[in-house]
Amino acid sequence: MATADTNLGDPGDLDERERQAVEAQLFRIADDEYVQAERYTFWQVRAPTLESDLAVANNSQDELGHARLWYEAIQQFGYTEESLLFESNPEDFQHSTLVELPFKKGDWADAVVRAYLYDVAEDIRLSALENSSYEIIRDRTSTIQGEEDYHVEHAQSWIERMVLDDDAVGRVQAALNRLYPYALTLFEPVGDVESDIEAFGIRTMSLDEMHTAWENRVEEFLTGLNLDVPTDAEVAEHIGRDNNHTDDWAPLFEEMTSSYRNLDRNKATVIMDKDNE
Amino acid sequence: MSSDYDRPRADTDATACSYTEYETKEHADGEVPVTGKNATGIERDVWAALYEVEDPEMPVSIVDLGLVYGLTIESGTADIEMTLTYSGCPAREIILEEVEAVAESVDDIETAEVHLVWSPDWSMDMVTDQGKESLREFGLSFEQ
Repeated sequence: MATADTNLGDPGDLDERERQAVEAQLFRIADDEYVQAERYTFWQVRAPTLESDLAVANNSQDELGHARLWYEAIQQFGYTEESLLFESNPEDFQHSTLVELPFKKGDWADAVVRAYLYDVAEDIRLSALENSSYEIIRDRTSTIQGEEDYHVEHAQSWIERMVLDDDAVGRVQAALNRLYPYALTLFEPVGDVESDIEAFGIRTMSLDEMHTAWENRVEEFLTGLNLDVPTDAEVAEHIGRDNNHTDDWAPLFEEMTSSYRNLDRNKATVIMDKDNE
Repeated sequence: MSSDYDRPRADTDATACSYTEYETKEHADGEVPVTGKNATGIERDVWAALYEVEDPEMPVSIVDLGLVYGLTIESGTADIEMTLTYSGCPAREIILEEVEAVAESVDDIETAEVHLVWSPDWSMDMVTDQGKESLREFGLSFEQ
């Protein structure tokens, strides 16, 4: 495992290769969080209980906050929020296809299994970033880790309860079988830049190491609940990391940016923006 | 007159819901947050202005919440380094705009800029004693 024995410095200190590697790491994590948050919002008035409505809305808000921290780190290289989000194209995004899939209608098991598979991977990824050679990544990781603990706990507690019910356990297993190949895309490379991300110490674990750590943890927990973990599954056809997405992404992106376009906006607005008062 | 429905009775042995945990963390002593204690002159005026800014969701000053990590004043420009209690804080723009506005309202300050920082991450032990008192009055309960 590589360790961060170098300090890359501020955005302006990076050479071209270092900058590309930092950006590549930031884009994938920002996009993952952003799209995961968006999909969660579907459940916030549809979850099984009022408490779970609130919990899922809260998790969504957490992920949006984290996406914002990562996109802001990207903006320090000169990008704007408009170019990154509202005026970009769906094929610009590099999130894992796990987070873009629509939920199977009425299938809460889909939501909790997806959250579980994602949040364990997120936990491992953050631990691989907490000693990053890039200070801006390192500094933001601790804040995010403090807010992520609950996510894994929430997903685990739902899965633990659902496997006790004869119908629900079948839905959990079906969701696991369906989502697992997509979860594997979380550990796919975005391209050749991957070796630089490791060599420069931007992330201190390789994708393979993170995959192994994730698989061990997921398998131990789920097998302990008598679920079959499809560890021999092949990665999904569309991996997202290489900008190739499922057919479900373009319509979601269209929906996420529709207000901006329909209102003829040319800049992102914020609450209490002086220009909009 | 009796009712079929018995109201639940308070459990005299009950303790407050203990689920909410406020983590405390080790922070380098005395570095952050800063509260402007012992500040003088124009710096003191800016601190006094910052004290007036409250969290939009709780009647407690952002300074007492421990959100301000640094203040430097140079030739009419106030540079304020601060954090937020939560990365997804919905009141973010409201707080930041108000901080800049109150700092700029101080005589001899022409511009104020806020820089958000996320390290060290904020936790309950950043709150000053006065802040804890305000939160208690507001009805928030936490361990001493």
